[in-house]
Amino acid sequence: MAIVYKMIPHILASFGIALVMFRGFSGRRSVVALTSIAGFVAGAAGAVVLFRVYRGTIPFGVIKTALGSGFLILWGVAVGVMYRSTGRGTAFIGGERFVDSSYYAGICTVISSMVAGAICMSRLPVADSSVLKVAVFVFGGGVLACGVVFAAKILEKRLPAAVTVTQSGMLAAVMAFLLMSSSSTLRLDLFSPLSMKVMKGIHDFVHQFMESILIPDHLFVQPVVWKYIGYLFGKGVGFWGGMIIWFTPVLLIVLANQLERLPSVAHVRQGAQRRKLIFAAIEARRFRLVIPMFSVIVFAAAAYQSSFPSVEYWDPKPVPVTANQAGEIFIPKQGEINLEDGKLHKFLFKQGGREAKFFVLMTPAGKLTVVLDACAICKPDGYGQAEGSVICYYCITLIPLETVGKPGGCNPVPISFTEKADGVIIDGMTLVNTWGATVQSTARVKEGGK
Amino acid sequence: MKRLFRIVLMVGSSRVVPPLVVGFFFLLYIGVAFFTDETLVTLIAFTRKSIVLAAILALIPLNRALCLLRETYMHLELRRMLAGKTGDNGAEYFDEVVELPVSSSFPELENRISAMGYKIRRTENVLAVWRGISSYPVRMLIIAGTLCLFAGVLITTTSRTSNRYMVIEGNPFPTSEGTGSIVERISLSKSTGFILLRSLIMEVASSGSWGGKKSFEIYPPSMFGGAFVYPRYLGFDLRLQFSAPDMPDGYEAHHSLNVYPPGKEDNEVIPGSPYRIVFSTPEPDAGSDRYITYMTGKVPLNFKLMKGNEVVLTGSTPGEGEFVRDGYRLAFPNIRRLVVTDFIRDYGVLCLWAAGLLFAAAAIIWVPIRLLFPRREMMFRYAPDAVWAYSRSEGGARRHAGVFHEALDLIDGSGKQKVEDRMS
Repeated sequence: MAIVYKMIPHILASFGIALVMFRGFSGRRSVVALTSIAGFVAGAAGAVVLFRVYRGTIPFGVIKTALGSGFLILWGVAVGVMYRSTGRGTAFIGGERFVDSSYYAGICTVISSMVAGAICMSRLPVADSSVLKVAVFVFGGGVLACGVVFAAKILEKRLPAAVTVTQSGMLAAVMAFLLMSSSSTLRLDLFSPLSMKVMKGIHDFVHQFMESILIPDHLFVQPVVWKYIGYLFGKGVGFWGGMIIWFTPVLLIVLANQLERLPSVAHVRQGAQRRKLIFAAIEARRFRLVIPMFSVIVFAAAAYQSSFPSVEYWDPKPVPVTANQAGEIFIPKQGEINLEDGKLHKFLFKQGGREAKFFVLMTPAGKLTVVLDACAICKPDGYGQAEGSVICYYCITLIPLETVGKPGGCNPVPISFTEKADGVIIDGMTLVNTWGATVQSTARVKEGGK
Repeated sequence: MKRLFRIVLMVGSSRVVPPLVVGFFFLLYIGVAFFTDETLVTLIAFTRKSIVLAAILALIPLNRALCLLRETYMHLELRRMLAGKTGDNGAEYFDEVVELPVSSSFPELENRISAMGYKIRRTENVLAVWRGISSYPVRMLIIAGTLCLFAGVLITTTSRTSNRYMVIEGNPFPTSEGTGSIVERISLSKSTGFILLRSLIMEVASSGSWGGKKSFEIYPPSMFGGAFVYPRYLGFDLRLQFSAPDMPDGYEAHHSLNVYPPGKEDNEVIPGSPYRIVFSTPEPDAGSDRYITYMTGKVPLNFKLMKGNEVVLTGSTPGEGEFVRDGYRLAFPNIRRLVVTDFIRDYGVLCLWAAGLLFAAAAIIWVPIRLLFPRREMMFRYAPDAVWAYSRSEGGARRHAGVFHEALDLIDGSGKQKVEDRMS
């Protein structure tokens, strides 16, 4: 039952993709039906192979790369259609015959269905299940794909014929459904990592830009002005910047549709006929908006799902620890807390008015690691643990468990420690100094440089 | 030659170039992001070192420069057409072009169009009508702004050099060639401006080779010797005398202290000894400016003498003075203001500033023109057996198209009427 519940977003996404493909390639419905099913099964089987051969982050990385590439292509197409709509007498050269062919319809459908199938399979425990169980999963996926495709075909035939879709609109809709599907899987989500990268990118860009035009440092500038500059370094800018990048392609496609020049009717000498032609063109243009506008809603759903994932994180209350005479903190491996149980365990160390939060975790490779409960980029809101990863609460970036303990990016800042047979030893001074040097300075920047 | 010029202009000034180049750098940025967190800095460093990347980036300012030429060329051609000075077809300049198989001209048309608020100019075989203000100047401002922006980015990325010096009160002003005249005074005071909270002035005395008295402020930064003088941080130059029971000969040297904002610690290591002195300035009284000590020059210093990791003594002085205890002697006979200053040689900054001004001017002009007075033009060219009608608009396209179509109906109807009259 839980598996069926998990599959709902993916079934909806596959249904949406098939529906849009049927409408986009309305003259080639059988090709679309066949390639949809074949693509889905091939994608599911490919994902099974990936997850069974490579453990850890690689399979997720492959699927995310496919999604990211699709999103980049969507951006390129959106800019292209905007260019075509707003330019005087501009047109793309060639390719119309290929776009009208069955090959094109088949290729587009098979690729999108493969990605949908791979995303779907990533929700299932295929890596550790028996071969028989996996075969059942793939077979079930095939049966499901058949059902979804035929349901989509039936519904598509009942849609008004006036609702048409351009190639760019179709791509936007397919990407919207794929991203909605992937956002329900924590490790395939693109929006949160995008927001985090945007936050870092804008931070770097603003810093470089201010240096470039020789803006004085904050000590010379009115606090109110610096407060506004500080907004560019906050969490909000990452989220809103991510939203802009997320929605811009589909909105460009909508805008390009609206800016498309109406046909010239100057050669028609009857006013009524002219008005009729213009009205027909405007109406067709409006109907072409339906699918891209619906895609905007799906993109929004994906962003929402990503920002508020329905996952409960393991986030224990920090346990206070103290240092001995030599300034060393000792945490036993076994006791009230079992450091080797694969869960993160948080601790709080206070010394002379200063404090540091950190956690100890045994990685999937069986190695203990000690890290600050904060990264070097974000405000120190801490981390929670979900399946296969820890998440930075500030920027909602997932850090695979395999990489916890490695420095850089939004990874928790590693702390040097000594592992003994019965526990770990951490130098208290090193801990508070590291917290002070990295985390507190980051917190000040995030608060607007005050 | 003219045809070749037009082709070069059209290809070089294509609107595709900037998005392609920006897209290319964006992809490069994504690629670099896989390997380092300092993505932007790394990308800038790559572009600075690589001629190929710099050349690709240079395509944008080149494209914009050609675009300026093309816009001007097209604008002049259009004006020439409307003035009836050229016989070129010029369909590419218009949204709609129609040929009507009727002859002669129609005075009634002029009256009708004139009544709709259009201005009219009649030459031998061309009737040009228009209303509103052309957005050509705004387009030029925007293109020039983009040209300046990307030229500035290119120049800054590839040629910026920065040298950091300490400008110290009473010391010669540092220059890349050596040193200049004496820095007479460094003053920090409250500013009354909207943007700046404090103003900083570095006054340099006049001298024979140096020229007259000079003063350097915060913004816009002054130029000196081809470089922008960019004050960054404040601090103090401290003349330190130190002796300890195990260092009876003592130690004396100048140190630059980076102790602002108050509370920030800076430490000086006594060379060849286990001693280290940690300095800081205390927070001023509540309600005072945090930099009041720098403004007045009266600098209370907290210090902590460390021997290895052991604190030997701590204390504070209200400014210049001496501190003696347990055989240790610390004296600060001279404390002077200093400004950590970057000397930046980068003419791209001027382009970036110019871009900002051009974009602001374009926005101020464009909004009212586009909303209230968009340019709409029609042209009717009379041939012996046909009339060619052209139409274009920069806004209010639907209403303008209505006027144009009505004019065409009028020409068509009048032309047919004339033919019928002649036949009867």
